[in-house]
Amino acid sequence: MLRPSLYVLAAAGVLSSFPAAAADVDMKALREEIAQMKAAYEQRIAALENRLLTAEKSVRKTAENSQNPVSTAEDSRRPQPGLAAGFNPQISVILDGVYYRDGRKGKGPGLLESIDGINHAHAHEGHDHGELESGFNLRETELVFSAAVSPYFDANLKMTVAAGGGVELEEAYFDTRALPAGLKLRGGKFQSGIGYLNAQHPHQWDFVDQNLAYRSLLGEHGLNDTGLRLEWVPKTGNWYSLLGLEMLQGKEQLFATAGEATPTGRADGAALADTSGGILAGTKRGPRLTTLYAKFAPDLGDKHALQFGVWGAWSKQHQEVHDHTGENPASFVHGLQGQGRLWGTDWVYKYDAAKHGGWGNVKLAAEYLRETKDLKIAFHELGDRVGQKREFIQDGFYLQGNYGFLPFWQAGLRYDVTGMTNEINGPAGRLSQMDPSRRWTFALSRDLTEFSRFRLQFSRAKLMVEGARENLNEVYLQYQHSLGSHGAHLF
Amino acid sequence: MKIIMGICLALNASLALALDVVATTSSMGMLAREIGGPAVKVVELVAPERDAHSLQVKPSMMRALRDADLLLAVGADLEIGWLPVAVGGAGNAKVQQGQPGYFEAAAQVSLLEAGQAADRSKGDVHPAGNPHVNLDPERMAKIAAALAERLALLDPAQAAAYRQRAAVFRAALAERLPGWRGKAAGAPGAVLYHKDASYLMHFVGVPVLGYLEPLPGIPPTAAHLQALIGKLQGKRGVIIHAPYQPASGAERVAQATGWSLASLPLEPKSPASAAAYFQLIDRWIDVLVASRQAP
Repeated sequence: MLRPSLYVLAAAGVLSSFPAAAADVDMKALREEIAQMKAAYEQRIAALENRLLTAEKSVRKTAENSQNPVSTAEDSRRPQPGLAAGFNPQISVILDGVYYRDGRKGKGPGLLESIDGINHAHAHEGHDHGELESGFNLRETELVFSAAVSPYFDANLKMTVAAGGGVELEEAYFDTRALPAGLKLRGGKFQSGIGYLNAQHPHQWDFVDQNLAYRSLLGEHGLNDTGLRLEWVPKTGNWYSLLGLEMLQGKEQLFATAGEATPTGRADGAALADTSGGILAGTKRGPRLTTLYAKFAPDLGDKHALQFGVWGAWSKQHQEVHDHTGENPASFVHGLQGQGRLWGTDWVYKYDAAKHGGWGNVKLAAEYLRETKDLKIAFHELGDRVGQKREFIQDGFYLQGNYGFLPFWQAGLRYDVTGMTNEINGPAGRLSQMDPSRRWTFALSRDLTEFSRFRLQFSRAKLMVEGARENLNEVYLQYQHSLGSHGAHLF
Repeated sequence: MKIIMGICLALNASLALALDVVATTSSMGMLAREIGGPAVKVVELVAPERDAHSLQVKPSMMRALRDADLLLAVGADLEIGWLPVAVGGAGNAKVQQGQPGYFEAAAQVSLLEAGQAADRSKGDVHPAGNPHVNLDPERMAKIAAALAERLALLDPAQAAAYRQRAAVFRAALAERLPGWRGKAAGAPGAVLYHKDASYLMHFVGVPVLGYLEPLPGIPPTAAHLQALIGKLQGKRGVIIHAPYQPASGAERVAQATGWSLASLPLEPKSPASAAAYFQLIDRWIDVLVASRQAP
């Protein structure tokens, strides 16, 4: 049944394409007419081009002679090369400083570091942020270098310089630019593509500080590691889709740390108990951390944009050593090992009002994260506990909105929570159940130009520290200036 | 019957081979449509009533660029705040900068205000030059010729057709140039919000009597407007701003000077044809000329 109807359609198509096929004579006449028209047209075009040339010449002359304020003196004669021809590599610097006050006589940053949760238990490594002080603070200064290396690769370097002079390599990676089929490969040290905020640097945040969910489950700077990433933009009609796979080393992440040594002493200086037993395994071969993420965005037209994503991260080795004997000599030193995993979902909506200075624009973002660590006791001062299972679970979310209430002015509101689920389970059931910490934040930003931003932020938090509720009010007054090449911002 | 079907399939295949062109602005889209004709499919990223400089990247842009054969940008840093990210997220080797599938209009012509010191104490200065070339009919003619060559490079089978269409477009422009210039002659001048119509003013030889922005990218300040009003006393002209630029400063100057005030788009309505582009130039010139009769 299908084939005949196809033929009919095909025949109809051919007939409609050649309606004059019936009459050969007509065709001939038509052809001649077209040829004549074409000749006449070409003559006319040639004449017009001549006129164009003479007109161009005369304009140049009059412009050269004129005293016009918009004179051609400014008109450079040579064609300009492409984008960003001025600098190679493109370099930009971001200066960031805050005036900080809190309602706890400067103890706020310490309280935020000590929020009850599954990752608080072991000592933090890596970043040295320099404790935020009441008063003036210079935050990390960010330096960014980027350029095309060849027709095949782009390279990007981001480093930060702390107020005390400490230099840290935040990102150093290459991207391919010539892979087919919507594929892109990145290698080096970089911010993982999971979630929405993870890939953003502090100067791209809508608030001064990191949200509680990221802070407690990924760390203040998010998930940043060394490895390879493959991204694929498949053909999915009107939708934009992005799939990513990352193979990362799994170094010093809150749920992916390897190479911890079996304890040989206690923080309080005493010797380990005679009953100590077990050892922590050696470092497994990397990459030890895998992430998978997908982002989807329908085309909602000119004014609206929506993107949502889901992601997961799995570590094949995670080790942590707990030694609280410094604060509590009655506690026991122990080490755990196993695997960690994290999943999350991220949602972003933007409304572009098409007015000056972002007036009327709306941006809403929300993410949920959930972290699980499946560990076993590998070392304990009470050796008979070695081999016992411990399951750590914590989740968190943030919800934030920004509104451009006047040109170059933005108001932002954020609610962030960590630890709605916040528990440690042993073989016989729940060992510990911790309460969540919550915070409300209000921010007022003013962009003086594209390159200078000032922000006033006020937050009210109810934190849980050592099982006790701590109220914390914080005020920030921040400036951010960007120098050098004109950066582009992510969605 | 089989032969007919074969022909139909071949016709379909040739249609499917149309070049996918992603243009940033509607005047770039107009060029692609005029020069490419039926051999191209055009998608525009920036709606004509929007500021192509301060736009933010959207996933739908990456989606459009994913399958593009040619990216047609204005260039000279106009789209720098979002286009690099859109290209980066598209995973398309063809439209990377430096590839034949990456075309910048501003790179095909000489630019006004080029070679200024890269000193942002002078505002949002673009050392490459003023990127707003779209309102200059002469430069657009040159860009059209360059675009035809680029399309010919990407699709040699249609090369003659691209060149032919570019010649038609240039001829249509050339035909109008003397009329535009003649009509605008003697127009007293205009105050602009931003240096986004410099090329048109330069083209018709009508002086820019001032800018509402004290420096490029810096919103009008009371002091600057006061000084501007003082400078304009006793002169005649018109105040022009784009629809997305705030009218308040312009209104203040209009009130103080008695000049008329116009909100004019910088881009033709989308999807634009050459006729729509010509109408846009006509509209600008009509406004410039109207102030000749004004008190």
